[in-house]
Amino acid sequence: MAPTDDAVETILIVDDEEPVRRTFREWLEGAGLNCRILAAADAEAALVKANEHTIDLAILDWNLGAGNDGLRLLEDLYLFNPDVVAIMITGFAQQATPLDAMRMGVRDYLDKNQDLNRESFLAAVGRQLHRIRPAKRERRLHASLIALREALEKILPLVQSAQALQDPVPLPQAIHSLLHFLLRSTGGTDGVLLLRSYDAEREPQETCRVYDASGAPVTAELVPFARSLAGTVVSLQEPYAITNLGKAAADGAVELQPFERGRQSLLAAPIAVAPGVQVVLELFDKKGAPGATGNTAFTVEDQRLAAAAADLGAEMLRQALAERQMQQVLIQAVEAALEASASITTTLQGTARERQEQPPPAPVLERLRETLNENLAAGGDAADTLRLAEAIRVLAVRHGPGAVEHCIRVVESVRALLDAATGEGETRP
Amino acid sequence: MSASPSNNGDVFDDVFALLTPERLLHDPRATGEGVTVCLIDSGVDQAVLEERFRQRGQQIYPIAGGIFTAGSQQPLPYEGKQSTPHGTTVADIVLSLAPRVRLYSADVFGPQGSCELDVVMQALHWAIAEWKCKIINLSLGVPEQRLQQVQRRYQFLRAIEEGYFHDVLIFAAAHNEHPLTRSYPAAFAPPLISVDKSAFADPLQFAYNLREQIEFQAHGRGRLGPFASEPATSWAAPHLAGIAARILSLRPGLKPFEVKTILYWLSKHFRNESPA
Repeated sequence: MAPTDDAVETILIVDDEEPVRRTFREWLEGAGLNCRILAAADAEAALVKANEHTIDLAILDWNLGAGNDGLRLLEDLYLFNPDVVAIMITGFAQQATPLDAMRMGVRDYLDKNQDLNRESFLAAVGRQLHRIRPAKRERRLHASLIALREALEKILPLVQSAQALQDPVPLPQAIHSLLHFLLRSTGGTDGVLLLRSYDAEREPQETCRVYDASGAPVTAELVPFARSLAGTVVSLQEPYAITNLGKAAADGAVELQPFERGRQSLLAAPIAVAPGVQVVLELFDKKGAPGATGNTAFTVEDQRLAAAAADLGAEMLRQALAERQMQQVLIQAVEAALEASASITTTLQGTARERQEQPPPAPVLERLRETLNENLAAGGDAADTLRLAEAIRVLAVRHGPGAVEHCIRVVESVRALLDAATGEGETRP
Repeated sequence: MSASPSNNGDVFDDVFALLTPERLLHDPRATGEGVTVCLIDSGVDQAVLEERFRQRGQQIYPIAGGIFTAGSQQPLPYEGKQSTPHGTTVADIVLSLAPRVRLYSADVFGPQGSCELDVVMQALHWAIAEWKCKIINLSLGVPEQRLQQVQRRYQFLRAIEEGYFHDVLIFAAAHNEHPLTRSYPAAFAPPLISVDKSAFADPLQFAYNLREQIEFQAHGRGRLGPFASEPATSWAAPHLAGIAARILSLRPGLKPFEVKTILYWLSKHFRNESPA
């Protein structure tokens, strides 16, 4: 995939002397920096380039000729990209006004007459890229997070409303169609579909739902699956019929569900939908022959029909359940992504430097304080110790190891001074 | 003095004449005593069985076992409960024929209500290596079309063979639509005893009727549970397992092929009896 405009750093060389531009370009290209390299002879051409590309690093000749200077051009480049930094090439370093230049984004000087060679040039460029790249990555991350959040905030209500519209439709319809077909084909007078799912990591672990012949959910206090007729037929893995339901359950091996009580004949068929999901179709009270009174038993043909319908129904239910689960998973994913993006955005508040200088999170500080209080048996105060440690840490972040070394020397000098004044610190028997 | 064959036939006729149902199955000691039987099934409701046999004036041994789940090496403790009533119906059949066996319930369905091949193989190994069971009953199977992978099928066969080489008798139920649908492990007939369903006047009767890799037929109706009265291979396999337990209680050290031969010879005595 080709790099996007923002994916690699762009270096702009601006110098009115063509040999200088060519030399700089050759040095940069030879160094394999993975950067886009542009060159311009004057301020006007430079601004045209800046309009086309985001300039990350400008290598500017201090004196561009025709009354233009590099610092003024940098001011204009700043308008295109406020994060632009520059290396100034000058023959008269003393002419530079360091404070203004630094404020404007000049990060380095190279004197044409003294220290400008391939090594010093690439070293200066390398130093700047080293700073630019993390900052740029961070800006990109921020921008993507903002875009992601905006997209997610737009998607979430759409997904929720889509689910609200679709949820009640597919599953009940599938159940109704299946039961309607079977009741008509077998002569059963009523039927239900029992759907049981188990997930050890969910609370409650077992959920059972029952739908009547119209596909509407049945509200009832259900017998545990382990003691139900449905449980048995799931283990048998094929349809079974019972002529006298009350008698069949009389030995206490199972308990009848509320919707099974008072029924005569039963045809129960398991439907293999998915692992962890058990579905059982139950048809009740097959009608007797025309003119006959009472119900009759479901036949072997009815069982075969139920087995075939279970195979067909499995696919239908699988799709209905999958659609429902997919929507739920989508909503959960969108919500999780929103939460994660908010968390990352909070974490990335401020610049990298500012974040480094922020004190550790409150729980971390609290834990440190507790540990110090436990360990500082003789004298000392945990809060002061932490303050001192934090001050040294920030010093190190801002000014590097040299500053810390200096700080240690200052502390040792103060201690020596106080020891001398108070007579403390001498070796005692 | 050496035994001589009878006048009417050879030595095998004499042996056959000795191996009668009366001597082997109706011996007062043929109760299943000293035989451990593992039911790889959906768990067993111990309280229901204890009460049922108490009402008959019989006391059964406490049932041990475990619940096997995918991804766990060790079984979870068995607490006397069933995951579905299927296993309790199977246990009732074994205990009705051999009330003094010691039962182990290997619940491979567990609370999730479905069973995976790996879990069955784990239970097989556990029953053989840890519980040292002499008989294992498998009233379950995987239809052939769902076990197409040769490697998986071979893995399953090796698990069954482990039983055979440890002198463990494994009884496996054929598919209810046998021979239209073949299922494993029943189709691995040589190292185990495969059982189809039929109807017999006496639940101690059975037949040898080799048909598409399934060798035996046993009584296909149970006594406990809503579907027990419906013919099923699930109920036939524990009938033959219970019969084998009766034989083994007379001589617990018999090897699987010895028991199989005895069953085969015994079945000849039932051949002339009309089925129910």
